[in-house]
Amino acid sequence: MKQLRIFAILLLVTVLVTGCGYSGDMIDVVSREDGSGTRGAFSEIFKITQKQDDGTVLDSTYDNAEVTNSTAVVMLTVSEDKNAIGYISMGSLNDSVKAVDINGVAPTAENVKNGTYEVSRPFLIAVRDRENAVVEDFISYILSSDGQQVVEALGYVSSEDGSEARYTGYVKSGRITVAGSSSVTPVMEALKEAYIKRNPGVEIEIQQSDSTTGLTTVAEGISDIGMSSRELKTSETDKGIIPITIAYDGLAIIVNPENPVDNLTKEQVYDIFTGKITGWNEISTDTTE
Amino acid sequence: MENNQVKERGMKILFLIAACASILAVVLICLFLFANGLPAIFEIGPGKFLLGTKWDPTNNVYGILPMIVGSLYVTAGAIIVGVPIGVLTAVFMAEFCPPKLYKIMKPAVELLAGIPSIVYGFFGLVALVPIIRNLFGGSGKGILTASILLGIMILPTIISISESALRAVPRSYYEGAVGLGATKERAVFFTMVPAAKSGIFAGIVLGIGRAIGETMAVIMVAGNTAVMPTSILSMVRTMTANIVLEMGYATDLHREALIATGVVLFIFILIINLCFALIKKKEA
Repeated sequence: MKQLRIFAILLLVTVLVTGCGYSGDMIDVVSREDGSGTRGAFSEIFKITQKQDDGTVLDSTYDNAEVTNSTAVVMLTVSEDKNAIGYISMGSLNDSVKAVDINGVAPTAENVKNGTYEVSRPFLIAVRDRENAVVEDFISYILSSDGQQVVEALGYVSSEDGSEARYTGYVKSGRITVAGSSSVTPVMEALKEAYIKRNPGVEIEIQQSDSTTGLTTVAEGISDIGMSSRELKTSETDKGIIPITIAYDGLAIIVNPENPVDNLTKEQVYDIFTGKITGWNEISTDTTE
Repeated sequence: MENNQVKERGMKILFLIAACASILAVVLICLFLFANGLPAIFEIGPGKFLLGTKWDPTNNVYGILPMIVGSLYVTAGAIIVGVPIGVLTAVFMAEFCPPKLYKIMKPAVELLAGIPSIVYGFFGLVALVPIIRNLFGGSGKGILTASILLGIMILPTIISISESALRAVPRSYYEGAVGLGATKERAVFFTMVPAAKSGIFAGIVLGIGRAIGETMAVIMVAGNTAVMPTSILSMVRTMTANIVLEMGYATDLHREALIATGVVLFIFILIINLCFALIKKKEA
């Protein structure tokens, strides 16, 4: 028993020593879990997932990329590891991490709106029929200038479907259920708060799950409004669901504040997240052309 | 008289129902797991499922060998870290600890058992990960970090069971050894500890059970890549992490494959509990 233990400790030490072949500036890639709306949008924008001719989807995400299941863990990891790179929703950005420019364009709400910052995704709501008066009034609030102000106050980008007009409606009472994407939920919570202040008789129940579940419940008539952080698939629109864009969310590519890199090209981001570039030394810090 | 008999029978039934509730729960869980998981295993193919090294749900490729290996490595690491510390702590607490210190140590160990696993995970992420990163490079997340964290998490189980096993050894063993001229240390390590062997092993086995089933803490420090680990610093995904990470999005075969992962995990736990029962039987 004693010998066995000593042997185990020796083994541990040898493995430790041999396992230390990492160089100092290897890029630590931080990704999200398969199925996450943020990962889906990110992979699609940078063409990391591609549909093959035979119908399968090729996901070339780097095998050694760390996988985490929350924005908070991505941010904490990047804020502590000076070699890390990750991606999060722009609405979650803070000073603990640095968002890099993509192709020389800064990730700001303005640049998302004028289309120069390409790394963005729509936040959609989806309804099945437009007959429920409360649903109709809530949507008109979301798209009014009052509703869009709530969206912008949270750091997201207002929708082009939004109108300049202020919200004038009023509903005495009613009850609706909103279900879907966890990314859209914070926006919806804020919109609900603001809406209920104007219409105290209305009850809005928000169920947080994911885009697919949200859209399915709308198609089945279980909930009134679905939330989705991705475009609808044709199989979903075929069920008669109507999508409405309520906001845009930019995705920020984040690195440690100590990292000298300020700008990455789309190709570089692709190469990093597919494992073609593995060291920060392969990226010149002077990429401003 | 009559009244008492009614009461007696009533209480008997009540206890029977209470006993049945937990058995029913186990049976239902087994049924659910196997009914949902086994078809998926056969659809994928048991060989491909258990020995496949590629996990790619988007293309319906489900091989969980990296996760099985990951769970085993992390658990083994936890044993290497936790068992020596745990057993020695138990020996100290049972035989050497001054009563004043014991008053602090006992509640401290109990508190360690009560800390929620997500808090352990957060501690690992902000405290352990940077240390490992600075010492060995890389991202700091991986087998080593997860092993150390799990090693700490299984300490209370090992300590409290080993300690009570040591205390259950008749005092005459110790007195006999000392009477024959052994020093206190010799008496403890060569008579008390061997006499409490089966209890200590039971504690270790329960600790292993906790380590292999731990989820939230591991997810935050293991890195969760579904590839075969190549070194002790490699990131790994355990079976539990695999289920939690993807359950929210999974549909159809993907969902069933995750439940099937649960079946494999369940079988591991079953084996561990069987070991536990065998040790207990030997003791009796």
